[in-house]
Amino acid sequence: MEIVVLIKQTVDMDQLKLNENSEPITENLPLKVDVLSKNAIEAAVQLKEKYSAHVTGIVFGTEKSTSAMKEAYAMGVDDGIILTGYKKTAPSITAAVLNNKLKDMKFDLIILGNQSSDSYSGLLAGTLASKLGIPVMSNAVGIDVKNENANVTIEGDKYDFVEEAKMPCIISVAQEINTPRLPNVMQIMSAGKKKIDIEDSGAVYNDNIHILSNKAPENDRKKMIYEKEDEGIDSIARILKGVAK
Amino acid sequence: MKALLFSDEPKNLKEIITYFSNEMEVTAISPEDDSVKKYGAKKVYFYKDGFSDNISNAIKKLNDTVKPDYIFISSTILGREIAGIVSSKLNEPCISEIFAFKPGKMATTKRFFYGGKTVLEEESNCKLFTVSPGLTEAKEISNESESENLTLESTNYRLIDRKEKKMGDSDIAEAKIIVSIGRGIGSKENIDKIMPLVDALHAKLAGSRPICLDYKWLSEDQQIGLSGKKVRPDIYIALGISGQIQHIAGIRGAKTIVAINKDKSAPIFEECDYGIVGDLFKIVSALVNKINN
Repeated sequence: MEIVVLIKQTVDMDQLKLNENSEPITENLPLKVDVLSKNAIEAAVQLKEKYSAHVTGIVFGTEKSTSAMKEAYAMGVDDGIILTGYKKTAPSITAAVLNNKLKDMKFDLIILGNQSSDSYSGLLAGTLASKLGIPVMSNAVGIDVKNENANVTIEGDKYDFVEEAKMPCIISVAQEINTPRLPNVMQIMSAGKKKIDIEDSGAVYNDNIHILSNKAPENDRKKMIYEKEDEGIDSIARILKGVAK
Repeated sequence: MKALLFSDEPKNLKEIITYFSNEMEVTAISPEDDSVKKYGAKKVYFYKDGFSDNISNAIKKLNDTVKPDYIFISSTILGREIAGIVSSKLNEPCISEIFAFKPGKMATTKRFFYGGKTVLEEESNCKLFTVSPGLTEAKEISNESESENLTLESTNYRLIDRKEKKMGDSDIAEAKIIVSIGRGIGSKENIDKIMPLVDALHAKLAGSRPICLDYKWLSEDQQIGLSGKKVRPDIYIALGISGQIQHIAGIRGAKTIVAINKDKSAPIFEECDYGIVGDLFKIVSALVNKINN
């Protein structure tokens, strides 16, 4: 079985600071493998261990994405391709780039994270599936393979259900599917020596979307903080009572 | 101006219809639920048991006949999947998770970015958008929409099993007062100590992501945050919630936020109106006494 895992590299949003105009300072921010991409890698590697599959990782990123691929290698990904030319989150363009690469590759499953932690857009799985003309199942908390079908347990908004579709197909995973493994030192060391294919994606950002502003939301909260337990209780009780009536 | 709307969740659909029907002629696609007809859509198409492939085909067909200026799809799990497929089929980029929209030659939209740390205000000629739940309060009107049943094409998916989720007893999206708990609560048993406050205020109980998804002390539909529900109560009381940015993104619509946390440096104190630093169980019990007297 051939599995492709799509890995997203993001800036470390926990370390994102704002300037005096409440705008994000993005220069020199450390990069990391996005949270749900780690769950996707773990899901792919677990399937590899169960069905002796082969896992290829693909990062649509930049020359700086080798660290993400090495992390994926250390977790158990076999081969890696970095497509360079990523500029911003734009699901339709990311899907076009990946489609361009994947249409000539042989695979049974494509696994990715359900939503990325910068935009939460969650559009890539559907867009790419449509371009490749294959089924897509989102927010998986369990993946099983039966004959030529993928059997996926999905946590829906109102229901939990099990769905089946023919492979090849795309599966996006939820954070609850697994706990990503922490590679040991040996795995990290040997991952560093593995070859990574780096190709220019030729991505063209031709959408007509312009950023007017990108700022922290205005915060006009009162921020009246009582540092002694008994101090604030009277006034807060009064406010609560007023609304609860 | 015309808009085509889809949600597999009637509650979200009612919100989106309310938001857009003042300015636009709205055609909506909904799972079978007659109450959706009361919110101002010109026409509602009802479907039954759809999957992402046959619903997106139906949207594409209606796009050809209705010829909408805009398509809005509510951001649910199925909605996002469908929005991606429609984006590819129509060859239209999609702007995701918007919570504000102004039509125009170039439409202006707002959405959260960097995990809720910033708001991106964008101008685009895009036609397709996913809409964040909790956009506005749904309002019934006196006119009823026309309706028609859609016949969906066959699907490539097979439903093998479906279990209704265990839901919490409360719809937190509609609540006037929400008491919400975070990791600071310590254990599932300690929730009992919070209930007197919930009862005294006739509030609804909710929780942060770890409480609802990791520990499962509350049900998933009680989760508040960027990946859960975005709420707009009159009062939001955060007990033992540190205030991760993803959580804050779910409560920006609250009129007043009260935070109780033992950690003085918890980020929630930067995002609240009133805060008390201290033992939450002691403070909750003192508050209950004051409220009941």
